[in-house]
Amino acid sequence: MDFRLTEEQELLIQSLEELLQREVPDSLMAELDEAKEFPYKPWQALADFGILGLGVPEEFGGTPADIQTMTLVCETLGRHAFPLGIIYALGMITIRDIVQFASDEIKQRVLGGLVSGDPPVALGITEPQAGSDAAALKTSAAFQGDDVVFNGQKMYCTLAGMTRYIMLMTRDQQIEDPYQGISMWLLPTDTPGVRCNKMAKVGWWTIPSYEVYIENACVPKSNLIGQMNNGWPQLMANFEIERLALCAASLGAAEGAYDDAAAYANQRQQFGRSIGSYQAVQHLITDMAVKIENMKNYVYKIAWMMDNDLPVRHEHAMCKLYVAQASFEVIDAAMQVLGGLGYTMEHRVQRLWRDIRLMRIGGGTDEIMYNIAGPQLLKKARK
Amino acid sequence: MNVVVCVKLTPDANDIEVRPDGSISLARAEWIIGGFDLQAIEAGVQLVEAQGGKVTALSAGPLPISNSKLKKDILSRGPDELVMVVDDALQDADTYTTAQVLAQAIRELGQVDLVLCGEGSADLYFQQVGLQVGEMFGLPTLNFISKIDVEGDHLVVERNLEEEIEVLEVPLPAVLSVTTDITQARLPKMTEILKASKKPVTERAVADLGLPEEVRPRVEKISTRAPHRWQRKQVMIPGSPDEAVQLLAGYLNKEGIL
Repeated sequence: MDFRLTEEQELLIQSLEELLQREVPDSLMAELDEAKEFPYKPWQALADFGILGLGVPEEFGGTPADIQTMTLVCETLGRHAFPLGIIYALGMITIRDIVQFASDEIKQRVLGGLVSGDPPVALGITEPQAGSDAAALKTSAAFQGDDVVFNGQKMYCTLAGMTRYIMLMTRDQQIEDPYQGISMWLLPTDTPGVRCNKMAKVGWWTIPSYEVYIENACVPKSNLIGQMNNGWPQLMANFEIERLALCAASLGAAEGAYDDAAAYANQRQQFGRSIGSYQAVQHLITDMAVKIENMKNYVYKIAWMMDNDLPVRHEHAMCKLYVAQASFEVIDAAMQVLGGLGYTMEHRVQRLWRDIRLMRIGGGTDEIMYNIAGPQLLKKARK
Repeated sequence: MNVVVCVKLTPDANDIEVRPDGSISLARAEWIIGGFDLQAIEAGVQLVEAQGGKVTALSAGPLPISNSKLKKDILSRGPDELVMVVDDALQDADTYTTAQVLAQAIRELGQVDLVLCGEGSADLYFQQVGLQVGEMFGLPTLNFISKIDVEGDHLVVERNLEEEIEVLEVPLPAVLSVTTDITQARLPKMTEILKASKKPVTERAVADLGLPEEVRPRVEKISTRAPHRWQRKQVMIPGSPDEAVQLLAGYLNKEGIL
């Protein structure tokens, strides 16, 4: 078993870390967070550095990269600037769906912009009545000549109000089995009839989420991504990689919090000695490090499995479940080590603490991860 | 324009371990490109991007420099090829020895218009090698160069001295040592990292160079010791300036300093 990264991966991450130190100081992320602004400047720096093109075919300005490399990128972004890791992870699913299923015309229209710094395409699945039960969505698509007209409402549609496109999921109510009646479309956000309403959230202040109201929004039929009524399997094809990327960013966030906590434990003096010299703090630090190591092993293993075309149906859900919880626990412990300082708005640990909590909900809740993994594990045990 | 950039590869200072007796261990240190040479590489690559030609990176050192990650790291930063003189005889080589080896390797490269070096090495920072290489060739040789412009068949350079900047015309060929503020080193992108493994690398031993005299260090290293680390006293002195001075003098007396 070889745990070493390739030399190319090590060099890329070394470069990326230096880029982040140069272009994305934490003070900038703190300012953007306070102003609740999308990190346009850091995102453009990543584009200029070629990071947004990883995994995109070369003909559209991208660079070939395996899943492990993209996972390492997500982790590094998460460690230095967690929102960038999240945005990158959110982009991975829509980019891959477009690369895999969209027409050449859509690829030409969208991918070049994404590689050169456009915010990712927003994913429009969730609706007021369709959260974890995503297939219960009701947004409709009706054909009118060469056009298609959408009506419906999307919820928690992250980035929708500030990006160029939504990858819109619609449902044909005439088809009884919802999984066979869902279609995937490219909806430009400037289409008349599309209205976005920004939602207030506990965290993710630089990554806005929206309610999207869609009333008679009309686009050409050629905006269909993939095949009609094949949207569900298309969506599922890349959900696993999105969850892995979210896990990698969360791992990075936990590592960042650990870095802060360990440095503070060594530096902060109480009762005449560093707080790190007390066993109570050493236990916190050690538990954090153990969880980080476990998360890292899990995330890297799933990436390796995916690069080797091995199925990860229940493994990815177990990884997401574990990492979402463990990363929160690590960041919570970091706040404990930092004490009052960690709870102030001055320190980045409070940002990580607010931001990481969503990982147990977004990209599939903990409970849905149990629902995916449990039956698969028992099925395997019956053999 | 054919540019040669001399690059010193050194153990990463962050990985140095200090043993209890003050001696240092580099056994676990990763080898990296010397920080002062990154800008020299970038300056050379920018000149060739603007003028056409070729950039050759040149490095001499002991066996650990023959490391494929290091080679990719250098080449991903823009040079077209890499020449290395790898020989354990160069372990702890003094500046004269290093300059001798580099000069001979440059001689064997054929026509070279410009040799660039960093302002000093990342480990010893003697700032001598570039000057000695230039002297060995009998070429115009300058250090502390913070700007290079090509004008016709010569260069116009800025030489950053403590209180003034000299602007000088330099005929080619020449040997220049550049400061770190000459430019910002680029960060290799994935495409450049992938291309690096396809660029030519030539490795030679000192004996292959046909030097007229044996390479023999003229400096003997007896030992390297880390300075003793004192525990800081961390004393805050309160009160008015007069009271504080009294208290400070008391502390210094107590420590035997006054």
